[in-house]
Amino acid sequence: MKFRSLAVAAVAALSLTAVAACGSSDDKKDAAASGPTTIDVWLMKGSVSDDFLKRFEADFAASHPDVKANIQIQEWNGIGTKIIGALASKDAPDVIEVGNTQVAQYSASGGVKDLTDKKADLKGDDWIEGLAGPGLYEGKQYGIPYYAANRVVVYRKDLFQAAGVTPPKTRDEWIAATTKLNTGGNQGIYLPGQNFYVLSGFIWDEGGDLAVKEGDKWKGALSTPEALKGMDFYKQIQALGKGPKDSDEAKPTQTDVFAQGKVAQMIAVPGAAELIAQANPALKDKLGFFPIPGKTADKPGAVFTGGSDLIIPEASDGQDAAYTFIKELAGEKWQTDLAKTMKYVPNRTSLASAVGADEGVAAMAAGAANGKATPNSPNWAAVEAKNPIKEYQTKVLTGGDPAAAAKAADEIITQALNSK
Amino acid sequence: MRTRLSRKLTLNILALGVFAFSVFPVYWMVLTAFKPTKEIQAETPSFFPTHVTFTHFSTAVNADGFWIFWRNSGLVAISAVLMSLLVACLAAYAVGRMKWKGRQAFILMVFIAQMTPWEALLIPMYVIARDTDMLDKLPMLTLIYFMMTLPFTIVTLRGFLNGIPVELEEAAQVDGCNQFQAFRRVVFPLLAPGLLSTSLFGFITAWNEFAFANLLIIKNQDQRTLPVWLSSFSNTFGTDWGATMAAATLFMLPVLLIFLVLQGRVTTGVAAGAVKG
Amino acid sequence: MAVAEAETTTAAPAPGTGTPVPARRGRPLWARVLPYLLVAPTVVGTAYLLVYPLVRNLLISVQKFGIAQLIRGGAEFVGIDNYRTILTDNKFWGVVGRTFVFTAINVGLIMVLATLVALLIGALGKWMRFAVMGGLVVAWAIPVIAATTVFQWLFQSQLGVVNWVLVALGFEQYDGKAWFADGNSTFAIVVLLIVWQSVPFAALTLYAAMTTVPKELSESAQIDGAGSVKTFALITFPILRPMFGLILCLEVIWVFKCFVQIWAISQGGPGDATLTLPVYAYQIAQSLNRYDLGAAISMVTVLILAVVLLAYFRQMFKEEGEL
Repeated sequence: MKFRSLAVAAVAALSLTAVAACGSSDDKKDAAASGPTTIDVWLMKGSVSDDFLKRFEADFAASHPDVKANIQIQEWNGIGTKIIGALASKDAPDVIEVGNTQVAQYSASGGVKDLTDKKADLKGDDWIEGLAGPGLYEGKQYGIPYYAANRVVVYRKDLFQAAGVTPPKTRDEWIAATTKLNTGGNQGIYLPGQNFYVLSGFIWDEGGDLAVKEGDKWKGALSTPEALKGMDFYKQIQALGKGPKDSDEAKPTQTDVFAQGKVAQMIAVPGAAELIAQANPALKDKLGFFPIPGKTADKPGAVFTGGSDLIIPEASDGQDAAYTFIKELAGEKWQTDLAKTMKYVPNRTSLASAVGADEGVAAMAAGAANGKATPNSPNWAAVEAKNPIKEYQTKVLTGGDPAAAAKAADEIITQALNSK
Repeated sequence: MRTRLSRKLTLNILALGVFAFSVFPVYWMVLTAFKPTKEIQAETPSFFPTHVTFTHFSTAVNADGFWIFWRNSGLVAISAVLMSLLVACLAAYAVGRMKWKGRQAFILMVFIAQMTPWEALLIPMYVIARDTDMLDKLPMLTLIYFMMTLPFTIVTLRGFLNGIPVELEEAAQVDGCNQFQAFRRVVFPLLAPGLLSTSLFGFITAWNEFAFANLLIIKNQDQRTLPVWLSSFSNTFGTDWGATMAAATLFMLPVLLIFLVLQGRVTTGVAAGAVKG
Repeated sequence: MAVAEAETTTAAPAPGTGTPVPARRGRPLWARVLPYLLVAPTVVGTAYLLVYPLVRNLLISVQKFGIAQLIRGGAEFVGIDNYRTILTDNKFWGVVGRTFVFTAINVGLIMVLATLVALLIGALGKWMRFAVMGGLVVAWAIPVIAATTVFQWLFQSQLGVVNWVLVALGFEQYDGKAWFADGNSTFAIVVLLIVWQSVPFAALTLYAAMTTVPKELSESAQIDGAGSVKTFALITFPILRPMFGLILCLEVIWVFKCFVQIWAISQGGPGDATLTLPVYAYQIAQSLNRYDLGAAISMVTVLILAVVLLAYFRQMFKEEGEL
């Protein structure tokens, strides 16, 4: 390794990166100079299929020749920091898809455009609460509902048949059925100990909540009698299987476990069925869905509404074009398409019937009517980052005292939500 | 004779133990990359793949912008390492072979620079990049990685340099070389083991770095680096671990390659160093 | 005889250093300016890429700086309020103490194991040496996301290899053991991961330093009858001491600042069992977007590290003065 060649190589390499960088920014300058307004749209990986995207892009280009939409797919990992970096930059993307549990912190930052005046144009009164609520901050609408999904029970039709049980409609029926299924090497239900979304549903069914706002102060509500009842039911049903008590639905990926073939039920969004079928094609036609059972037969269990909103950064230089894009994507035509293609819950309650006859989506829509979101605080993202609810669940499931553990978790939630 | 054989045997058994302990988790990662998804979380763990599948590798390689990621990371990592080696050699030579005022202060500054809390500098670095219009530009990342590895490289090379007698260079100078030629021909090859350590360290640092690459490259998709690719197999439903592990396996290969190449030169360098007297 | 030589060399600077080129009167200008030119790139780079961001960080730590200020500007000066908030939080001192314990345990294990492994590599034949070094490089090079995931899989309560092997060996109580539910076992797993990933670098660099030890010294020691332990203690180690000290210092810094692995595995939990200073800083700063508090914590961390390593710096400063 000669010294001089080291020096030459170093300089050459650095120049190469500079050239690579310059090349692309020049292209962008040319594009912006002429013709239609180009907008950059950030959509999250996997939230819509490639097929849907292609059709939408083609249609949008045809019907809006004055707007060129440059759709960039973003990865979930590290997206929080990335969005903050984008909102704070001088040249932000024009439309960003944001998870509904994250949108409040951006609304509170001042970096997102207030779209309250567009609400009527977008038929905002019809929006489902689980998406519209999080997009609202101090009475102003920052996030426009995009799509929602909630959990149902995915079950093995053949195992149910063999055990002689039918999809339960109440909690008692559910426990009875699962107990019957939990034999002979099969798990009645695979429910990881730290699935706090499912716990939220059980708590809401009892009339409790994760946190409540008293005046302008938040207070953790896990230690209320209602919430404790919810946790108790979680403990009961969790015990009817071999879900890990110290982990959540991602570690291990629960669809992978279900795909082994020895699990009778699992709580997930209907889309999970595709992943199971991919991992184990033999199970493809054996999967069924039913809404999470509630306390009584006439009302399915409350569910956590997951989904995304669309925001326009203040730093965007194509805000009008961005709004045109959002109006299209959040409009009736494409929401109906989205519901059918992706098996999502569309953003308007009046469109719920559009989901069609797919068993999974029908079950999901039944639950969606009873869907709620997490406490609408800009600090909720911080609670989820180091989640005291999950730790509370593990403590109870491994034999700890529920009341004491709940109180400890509440203190952490209260402190996090109230910090300025 | 017997004790030497049993000593050799014990050493080799220990060596195998160290090897197994180092490699096992990596082995598990590579194994997962070849296992069909269904078997990744099997109830009875399998230590050898019963069915080998290449679908995960194909998913990993067919990711959007695959070749761009590799080009960007390669350029950035190699430039950062080369720059840091060059600058460090100059500085180490100045510190180890010359007497000048401020030398002690300089080396102290370099040592303190090791303690830089890089994760904490994310926001300040972002603000600086934004204000100097260096967002979305790979050279900014290169400079940051260069700075991350520079203090360690200087300190290590200085340490190795201190272990090489000045007499060697003086002998070369007697033979007609000037100061620089003496350094280049005599000392530089002897620094080889130190260069291996520092190159690997620099390369791994730049190659694996995610936080700055994620925050400073915003809109320009063509400037993204490899760690972004690694985390791209998660979506709304969960993570495709088979593909992630396949990607991680491929991700690791260049580092191994660099080690193989450099280690070969290190052994020749050390042999050449038998000149030491 | 050779042993006696080695004993005297421990007192003096490392053998073979000699004196650098002495400053001769009347050296040409370019020769006097040369050292400064050589270190100029380092100084410039450090000033722009390290000192400037650090100063910026210091500035942020005395302002009210959250996501709103990042986006819109207008950060107001609040003096030492942020530091006061951090230092009066009773959790903070518990976290600092835990970080010290964590660092001590990890660094102790790393240095001992790395030295043993480096010695082992030195004593092996060519092919075994290559294999072991390759194994170490592989453990060093594995991306963090893969390493943390594999470790979590290995210790899964129902499907993990560790529980499976333990039960197969007859330890029935480990059937379904939830490793991550208990603070101490989670702590142990994190330590295992960090030691496993850190030993390769330390061992390889120590070994590289060992190759510079002249073989004649250790060979003549052995001829004189010194066993391997004595050879190491009296010949190898004294020569290696600067490099050993350097690596020790680096490992202390890196382990103290270690964040990614802990966050990926346990986020500082369960409870506060693995909550170290960097994890706490992230929790407060990034999750809550309170960059001002995060900046304050990082400045305090650097200060703590500087105090801890003060003895080392003094030693090294003295050494440099002797050269």
